[in-house]
Amino acid sequence: MRKPLILLAGAGLLALPATAALAPGGTAYTKRASTDLLAQPSAAAEVVATVGYGRKLAVTAAQGAWLNVKDGRKAGWVFKGNIAEQKIEETKGADGLPFEASETSASAAARPLAEEASSYADQKGLGEAKADVLWLEQATAQFTPAEVTAYLQAQRKGEFQ
Amino acid sequence: MSFLRFFPLCAALALAPAAHAQFGDLLRQVGGDKADTIVDNFADGKKLVKSAAGIGLEEERSLGGSVAVEIVSRYGGLVRDEALLRRVNLVGRSLAQYSDRPTLAWRFGVLNSPTVNAFSAPSGYVFITRGLYALAGDDDDLLAAILAHEIIHITQKHALNLLRGSAAASGALGIAARNAKGNGLRQAQDAAGQLGLDVDRLIEGFVVHGFAPETEYTADAQGRALAATCGYRATGLREILVKVQNTQGDPATLFSTHPPLAERIQRLR
Repeated sequence: MRKPLILLAGAGLLALPATAALAPGGTAYTKRASTDLLAQPSAAAEVVATVGYGRKLAVTAAQGAWLNVKDGRKAGWVFKGNIAEQKIEETKGADGLPFEASETSASAAARPLAEEASSYADQKGLGEAKADVLWLEQATAQFTPAEVTAYLQAQRKGEFQ
Repeated sequence: MSFLRFFPLCAALALAPAAHAQFGDLLRQVGGDKADTIVDNFADGKKLVKSAAGIGLEEERSLGGSVAVEIVSRYGGLVRDEALLRRVNLVGRSLAQYSDRPTLAWRFGVLNSPTVNAFSAPSGYVFITRGLYALAGDDDDLLAAILAHEIIHITQKHALNLLRGSAAASGALGIAARNAKGNGLRQAQDAAGQLGLDVDRLIEGFVVHGFAPETEYTADAQGRALAATCGYRATGLREILVKVQNTQGDPATLFSTHPPLAERIQRLR
């Protein structure tokens, strides 16, 4: 039984697109409902344009972990962690892409254990483990995107390096 | 069985997993009028056709939650320590927001097990054992390296790839549950049973035996890149693997579901 599983996993890997470095002359894709393009390669710089989800960007220059990108007439700097090398296929709603750019992942973080998973745990007699996961869902909901951003700033991580 | 993997629509109609038909609780979730049912079934039918290409987010959440419960059950439950939870989640979510699936509801937990290992489950669950957490110590770069590796398993859908071609994961679950209200008792049982089968397959496929070595090497390389992008030491993963390698202990408890440490360390040079 295990051998076919390994073969299938291997097939899945083969299906993945080859990765290419994010570099001048290359392309990238936005992966959030809204991505800001900045005037300078710095998180503190002015926002000069905003692009929506799944947009194909032309990379025109690089400076450290920052890339200068172009989407039609829109151009500016973006931290490389805020874009993807391949287009991300994520659905809207639930824990996927927000329907509106103004939405944050805060509501998703508070989403409880899926009903089917809860029923599965009950039927398998995994009550204690289910209680632990429910606790985890509740306890981790307190960490808002704003708090994560503040943490990144304090630790000088991500786009605040 | 292998035939069904490549013909998911046939599988949706034919699968009747008696061994898992005990999940009758799903019947209580059924609702909606007939017209809605037809429309929804059409939508799920499209999912069936698309099953080889991807698994929907709702199905991913069902599978992920179920696998998470199984992992927690098998590895001693969760450590309920607020300070520890805060550290793991702030480091983890810092990484996750620069991953390729930044909008998932990411949750990071510590398993109350002395073994040295880490796990992920679809839809954003990441777990590290207290044994591995202790080995990483106060060094956030080492903790980040471990979490980034697990994040990649989720963003690259390594576990879901094991289910390609499965009927429930691609829409049959929704169809059967809706039809159950009027005349589809068996279908609903089949749907719940199929979820159980898929969870069993995931548990067997990567929680018990681990992913295929090449899948793990991919997670190592891409996890290292994610950690470095976020500003953590790119050498962090190699450092923690060397620490594990130098740990005196039963090999069965040290990253037992991952490829040989020496090979992983070599590939990270």
